[in-house]
Amino acid sequence: MGRANPVPGLLNPQLAYQPGLRGWTRLRMGLIRRRLKGWQREARFFLGEPLGMLGLASIGLFALFALGQPLLMATVWQDPIYDPELGYDIQIFPHPAGPSAKHLMGTDPLGRDVLSRLVYSTRTSFGVGLSAALIGSLIATTIGVSAAYFGGKLDTILMTVADAFILLPPAVVLLIVGLIFDMSWLQLGIIFGIFAGAGSLALLVKAQALSIKSKQFVEAGRVAGGGGWRLIRTHILPNLISLLSVNMMFIVTGSVLIEALMSFLHRTDLRTSWGMMIWLALENNMSGFDLVDEWFVIVPPALAIMLFCGGFYLIGRTLDEVTNPRLRAR
Amino acid sequence: MVALLDEAAVMEENVALEEAAIRAASGESTAAADAPLESEGVPPEAVSQLTQPGSQGEPAVASSAPISYEQGVEAIRPPDLSVLRRFLQWLLAFFSGDLGESLGPAGGKVIDILKTRLPTTLLLLLPGTTLGLLFGLWLGKRVAWRRRSWVDWAATVGGTAFYTAFPPWLAFIMVAIFAVNLRWFPVDRLRNPLAWVGVEADFNQMLVGILQTAGVALLAYLLLWQLTRGMRWNRRRVRALVGGLILILLGLPWIVSGNGPLALDILNHLVVPMATLILLSFGETMLIMRATMAEVMDEGYVTQVKAMGYSDARVRDRHVAPVATLPVLTRFIVHLPFVIAGSFFLEHAFNLEGVGMLLVQAANQIDFPVVLGVLSLVGLGILLAHVGLDVVTAWSDPRLRVTTQSGAG
Repeated sequence: MGRANPVPGLLNPQLAYQPGLRGWTRLRMGLIRRRLKGWQREARFFLGEPLGMLGLASIGLFALFALGQPLLMATVWQDPIYDPELGYDIQIFPHPAGPSAKHLMGTDPLGRDVLSRLVYSTRTSFGVGLSAALIGSLIATTIGVSAAYFGGKLDTILMTVADAFILLPPAVVLLIVGLIFDMSWLQLGIIFGIFAGAGSLALLVKAQALSIKSKQFVEAGRVAGGGGWRLIRTHILPNLISLLSVNMMFIVTGSVLIEALMSFLHRTDLRTSWGMMIWLALENNMSGFDLVDEWFVIVPPALAIMLFCGGFYLIGRTLDEVTNPRLRAR
Repeated sequence: MVALLDEAAVMEENVALEEAAIRAASGESTAAADAPLESEGVPPEAVSQLTQPGSQGEPAVASSAPISYEQGVEAIRPPDLSVLRRFLQWLLAFFSGDLGESLGPAGGKVIDILKTRLPTTLLLLLPGTTLGLLFGLWLGKRVAWRRRSWVDWAATVGGTAFYTAFPPWLAFIMVAIFAVNLRWFPVDRLRNPLAWVGVEADFNQMLVGILQTAGVALLAYLLLWQLTRGMRWNRRRVRALVGGLILILLGLPWIVSGNGPLALDILNHLVVPMATLILLSFGETMLIMRATMAEVMDEGYVTQVKAMGYSDARVRDRHVAPVATLPVLTRFIVHLPFVIAGSFFLEHAFNLEGVGMLLVQAANQIDFPVVLGVLSLVGLGILLAHVGLDVVTAWSDPRLRVTTQSGAG
């Protein structure tokens, strides 16, 4: 509530404009309306980008998968043969069987429904990607902004830490952590988020925050009496959002790919994921079944990874174009 | 992190050693128990520790007389030191080039294992990454010049698709198309075993030789390019002549020693993995290059150069692209760990005996010293890349050059 006063009585507090409850509400409503209008304009730009819409559509499809999976299990796939982990259709032989009305994407070498497994794994990918993105951008913002704003010794320490993290590729680190214990999706997301956020993203955020800090409006804010926290909150953080949102998408892409690779190499405790499905297909190919005829075992999960990551990537790219006025010009 | 891993490694070692000690203490002669131990699924490192005297600097428990459990443990227990002490020891050994001993069944020094594996990885990674970068820059440049055309959409969708493709899957598809169906390029451990029968040449030395030749050739051509830049007349002819001479000079040793066909065989096997790596890595560079190009194209000087009547291609290649390349290089170096990880998984997919394959094998065998060695190697590589980037930026960006001069002076 407190400070809605647009013109603080800098010279004489008694002359300060007191808007009252109605005035305060109107001011707030106006602010909200202006912000909404800005969003509307950006949304219109976004909707004008076919590639961004493609990404949004693909992510929407997967979100539907993830949310609708329990519903599907309760209605269409009631039969235990559709269980993503333990199902087995005894009426079909031999077992990587092609698409049919009963199994829309066929069955895998162990007799389970491919579509059911695909839909079930979507949740894991969302969980890994979103947790990694949240943790990563949180850490990167904390490190980058405090290093840029406070400078000095803190800057040196934090940047040394960031440089150390840059030298450790998340994939290799995760492979090694996988030696010690089998990771759950949450652990995987958190570890990836830490290593992606504290390394390269922190450097990017720091560079951006430094350039914002030297802008005149930050100086004006300081002259008007804003403290450190207020300057960071009202001036620096809003200007970081576009950079962060773009890089969050990239973290999602990276973490989902790495999750698939880790599952592929059996470094997770997941029993169903896209990486596991591809591993099963390739493993069975080694023992001699024809992947050209039995494409439905490997193509759906691989395409799902591509569409999921590509969707997030396209959204990030389009957000970049929308929020970056220099890119929007043409 | 490293200290933690180191401690974990030591703990792991201790567990293995204690298991071995229990077996030794229960009265079995180790030499006789060797085969049954393996079949019972005891970690192979425990066996190798016992049967290879001196591998840990401790005498092996090989006496046939039964000893008690405590005696067995005492005999093979490593010295009891604090975590910090052990970390310092490891650090000291690391900087003197001693990365420890492998715990795997084959054993051996980690540094030697790395030396045998490194050439393959370098031969795949260096040219693959560089070509991917160059291809991405080239394509991004062209695409940015024709924004919002069908070329732009197609390149963006294609680049995104390849960038987000699952590496083992892409590798599998490439093998299925080019190696199995079309039979254009063989893919199998970088060599045709029949061609290597009765040849005393060392495979790894051959790889190193190829790398050296390629490096010398690259340096020579860059030098040639720079030296002939100022020439007004006959520049093209001189370049062709001297370039041909360099090629012959470098090719001569291969022809004389008779290793030429083997090297060609290796290169032939390298085509598909390299193409896969390029496909995986070019997309990101292209997309970033496109964005930076778009930013630079809005600058006033570009309009001026256009108004001066230079052709579109000249403006793009000489005035916009060089300025847009530097930020792309920075981003590329930042994302290098992902490229390296991707190439590791490619090695796993193509069954190449490189560092990435070694990492996966060592991870499966819980072979901590080797894993640590690989990790240090990767860190070293990325560090070198960062230094190289700084040098390249300082060399090619006049703005930075001025500031460093004034700053240093």
